[in-house]
Amino acid sequence: MRLFKTVLLTLAALVMLIPGYLLVVNAFKGQDDILRSPFGIPFGRLTLEHLNAALSNPDFSLVRAYVVTALFALAVNVLSLAVSAPAAYVIARGTRLRHRALLGLFLLGLFIPSQVLVIPVIYVLKYLGLMGTVGGFLLYETTLTLPVSMFLYVAYIKTLPRELDEAARMDGAGPIVTFWRVILPLMRPAVATAVVLHTIGVWTDFVNPQIILGPGSSLYTVTTSVYAAIGRYSTDFTVVYPNLLMAVAPVLVFFVFLQRNIVSGLTAGATKG
Amino acid sequence: MITLFMLVPIALAGYLSFTDWDGLTPNPQGVGWANYSRLLHDADVGHAAVVTLIVTVVGTIACNAAGLGLALLLNRTSRLTAVLRAVVFYPYVIGPIIIGFLWSAILGANGAIAHLLGNAGHSPLPFLSDPAWAVGSIVAVVVWSQFGVNVVLYLAGLQTVPASLHEAAHIDGAGRWQTFRSVTWPLLAPSVTVNLVLVLVGLLRVYEIVLALTGGGPAGRTNTFAFLILSESFRSNHLGYGAAQAITLMVVIAALALGLTALRRRAEDAVSS
Repeated sequence: MRLFKTVLLTLAALVMLIPGYLLVVNAFKGQDDILRSPFGIPFGRLTLEHLNAALSNPDFSLVRAYVVTALFALAVNVLSLAVSAPAAYVIARGTRLRHRALLGLFLLGLFIPSQVLVIPVIYVLKYLGLMGTVGGFLLYETTLTLPVSMFLYVAYIKTLPRELDEAARMDGAGPIVTFWRVILPLMRPAVATAVVLHTIGVWTDFVNPQIILGPGSSLYTVTTSVYAAIGRYSTDFTVVYPNLLMAVAPVLVFFVFLQRNIVSGLTAGATKG
Repeated sequence: MITLFMLVPIALAGYLSFTDWDGLTPNPQGVGWANYSRLLHDADVGHAAVVTLIVTVVGTIACNAAGLGLALLLNRTSRLTAVLRAVVFYPYVIGPIIIGFLWSAILGANGAIAHLLGNAGHSPLPFLSDPAWAVGSIVAVVVWSQFGVNVVLYLAGLQTVPASLHEAAHIDGAGRWQTFRSVTWPLLAPSVTVNLVLVLVGLLRVYEIVLALTGGGPAGRTNTFAFLILSESFRSNHLGYGAAQAITLMVVIAALALGLTALRRRAEDAVSS
């Protein structure tokens, strides 16, 4: 039994890790070495040349894509927090039917596939004159984060005792001041969870930047620039592996440090419903 | 924002699905039920529905079986299990588009697996070039990339099973399998529901992995429903028709998610009563 368990776990770990190993090792090898021995490490001939080429590709500069994607993630997180935290406070403290209906409305968004939304959203964005613009993209991307944010924040604020609000009111604070000075600082753990989930979401999102920003615009996120860079050279492994490695390197670092937050965020998001 | 980018779009998708909108003209013409009747007789749609069905059914079962199995093996706190949990979970932060490219480099004609087979004196297997093999490859890669989330969620579910119950079962002379069958499994019922519904809803919209792994090929034989909506409707500018497909997908997802939840509720009630 014990041996069986060890074998099973080892096998699972190998299946999970080998693609990652290939991704890292082959990014430092030439085409010949990759073709002749994809699993080997030719210590004498490892090179940074292809990684450099991927980073400094004149058409789809990955360095620029890092900056663009990071700024997008930052903007989406700020917008999402600004919209959902006050709304969640009102809903969590509200007792009327309309508050519950509003929450239901937000949570409905969890079940609507984004492919269903994207065609009509193009229509709306064209109507507003925001199609193909950063503003339009950020608005839509932020909207997609709202259901999860609302869900996490409402659940979290409900665990904060109402006596806090009353004490603040006694001291003469209005609802806005109470929210800003008392509730928001206490929401830090929930905000951290939401930020981690949304950052991964924006970083790995491909469909929305590809369609809304469009290949015509010169703005590439990491995923769309990797797609554009690899698309034409998918048999040239010295393009494929380095590009993929550079695309995932930042999130993997993020993952190693924040693994616990990601896992607990996912669990909270999925099980408290 | 929810109203602008979720509710209005859904209503609009309903409206656009009755028009011939091409994504460019501001005033689409109504075409009645033409899009829907075309959908019923469209061989591509029928094929995509079959592929989606295979991916969803096999994938949902495999993700949950592997997820629960591994969660049972990892259900104790030690450094090793924490590392293994991270190992099965890391594809989540890499994102589907990168995973698709990575696996296409591994499974493709000159990829790592073909190399291994060659060394063993075997001719390469048509992982991505034969329609049946390609669907199998998609299922395998989807399961590889998603079941880590199920492991994490099942582990959280297992934490809620009180250790005292296991001890009681042990004292009563129950074996491992018996304990699992009559203590763990019934108490996991809510976890199972969450996992089933999440995987089901996720797999019905598989898009990026198909795009990067097979591009829908060979000859459109691995188009999933979501892939058809996004690729075909944009390539040919039949967005009205795409909207009809999107609405169909949304109805199917909603029906399956609600149906599954209702079915599972009976299993959950059996425990609490």
